[in-house]
Amino acid sequence: MLKKTVAALAVGVIASSAANISGAGASFPAPVYFDWAYMYQKESGNKVNYQSIGSGGGIKQISARTVNFGASDKPLKPRKLDKKRLYQFPAVIGSIVAAYNIPGIKDGALKIENRDLADIFLGKIKHWDDKRIAEDNPGLKLPHKEIVVCHRADGSGTTFNFSYFLSHISEEWADNVGIGKALDWPTGLGGKGNEGVSSLIAQNPYSIGYVEYAYKKKNGFSAAVLQTKSGKWVEATEKNFKAAAKYAKWSPKEHFYQILALQPGDNSYPIVAATFILLPREKSEMNKEVVKFFDFAFNKGDEDARKLGYIPLPTETKSMIRDYWREHGIY
Amino acid sequence: MTLQNRRILINKTVMVLSTAAAIGGIIFLFWILAVLLFKGFAALNFDIFMYDMAPPGREPSGLRNALVGQLMLVVGASAIGVPAGVLAGTYLSEYGGKKSRLARFIRDISDIMMSTPSIVIGAFVYAVLVAPFGHFSGWAGIAALAIMMIPIVLRTTDDMLQLVPGSLREAAIALGAPKYKVIIQVVYRGAKTGMLTGILLSIARIAGETAPLLFTSFSNNFYSTDLNQPIASLTVTMYNYATSPYEEWIDQGWAAALILALFVLGANIIGRIIIRKREGEH
Repeated sequence: MLKKTVAALAVGVIASSAANISGAGASFPAPVYFDWAYMYQKESGNKVNYQSIGSGGGIKQISARTVNFGASDKPLKPRKLDKKRLYQFPAVIGSIVAAYNIPGIKDGALKIENRDLADIFLGKIKHWDDKRIAEDNPGLKLPHKEIVVCHRADGSGTTFNFSYFLSHISEEWADNVGIGKALDWPTGLGGKGNEGVSSLIAQNPYSIGYVEYAYKKKNGFSAAVLQTKSGKWVEATEKNFKAAAKYAKWSPKEHFYQILALQPGDNSYPIVAATFILLPREKSEMNKEVVKFFDFAFNKGDEDARKLGYIPLPTETKSMIRDYWREHGIY
Repeated sequence: MTLQNRRILINKTVMVLSTAAAIGGIIFLFWILAVLLFKGFAALNFDIFMYDMAPPGREPSGLRNALVGQLMLVVGASAIGVPAGVLAGTYLSEYGGKKSRLARFIRDISDIMMSTPSIVIGAFVYAVLVAPFGHFSGWAGIAALAIMMIPIVLRTTDDMLQLVPGSLREAAIALGAPKYKVIIQVVYRGAKTGMLTGILLSIARIAGETAPLLFTSFSNNFYSTDLNQPIASLTVTMYNYATSPYEEWIDQGWAAALILALFVLGANIIGRIIIRKREGEH
């Protein structure tokens, strides 16, 4: 009798602790993960506690196995995943815009060639009425004001994706600054987090910076029209982000390692980025619980993701991810 | 200029400078308080106490889980930190003696610990209680706060007990009281105001800490009283909310700051009332 009670208690304890999932990492998808978790808790009673500590922190904590899942805006290469014994799959897509604050110039009115954007961030184009910008904007009256460049001061997945983009359009950027979560910036002001850069842009007239689309939307910023891979003008709209996301060539064999900048296509916005989930390979029981949550999010979370300024994964990608889970026995 | 005039001049100059410095400090203090009260009360409502955190744009949302978590962390840390600190302080003052090497060593170590940056304590507890166990937990947060608390309580207890005149102890011993009775009934009674102030200060100190909690108790978006799980705290929530892009979160961050400030203030006032009442009785 006593044995049975103890056994029942033990089962109860295990069952109830399995319902508490903790995750940590990238700050950019944190609002949507929290929203999904909020809905998931209402429906299943399971609590998914996601804490935003940055992509670098997410990779560290999942490598130390102190959380049940990690999240990173920067995908890990398959070799690294094998070394750290992790699974990886994308969860949601976001995009990065070049947001500017020039009094009198509206959202989407300013066109900047990708190459010129790199030179602005390199500090080579110094004034808004520079010939190279003026050429592309014959209808605009550009002020002769110095460009205030705003960038991230902390380690950031957003910076990683933005610098990846700049490195692929400008050799000088690739040679002198390169790709990374934290960079040696040639010019400009640094802010902490997307929110820090946002307030720098808001406070400094004639500034430009890169932020996640959700922050642009939230702050009512103006975003520059950039170019597709082949050089066509493309506005920073949700439709164009989605167009770019479609071209992603996901490969489950590579654990979905894929950087989404500069996709082909006439309407593909050049700087979109997926954010990834990392799971510890040896913890198959807990992984099943985590996967249940993301399965729920894939089924019912698209509308909320859109509302917060994210792009849900295409249906084909989702079923590819479900196959990946099945293959590894965690679905 | 006569010597007297020169001294008067120096006196006046220093007076003016120190008054100006005091006013400068007070201006900032009141500025902080005014902003805190203004923004905090604007954001304070009943929902804050009734509901848990919610994603931006979802209603209703509050800070109940963070309030409960904060209380558990502070109470837990005090339950470990206060007895340990008081006993250690008693040892130093009553048993250690001035020449004891061990007592001197403990005093030095506790001074070093008091000035250790709190993030270092957080990192230590992370390495000892989080990484080996494979999860963040409320216990780890309590341990980190208790470690911060012990040297503060220890030092003030030690100092306060030493202020009690030795003649009182001698008188009690002369009457035949055993040492433990001397300590509890004579020395503690004489030093209780100072000891209680030290304890309250240490509680106020740890209640406002964020750094040792970031990587120990972590945070939790949901209501949880399980100390084996990550648990929410007002300070970490404040830190997360204040830097978020969502207005309702920023407002709630101010509300959290106000509640925390009022809690610390309240603890102080209650402590002082208790002391005064006791003093009236005797």
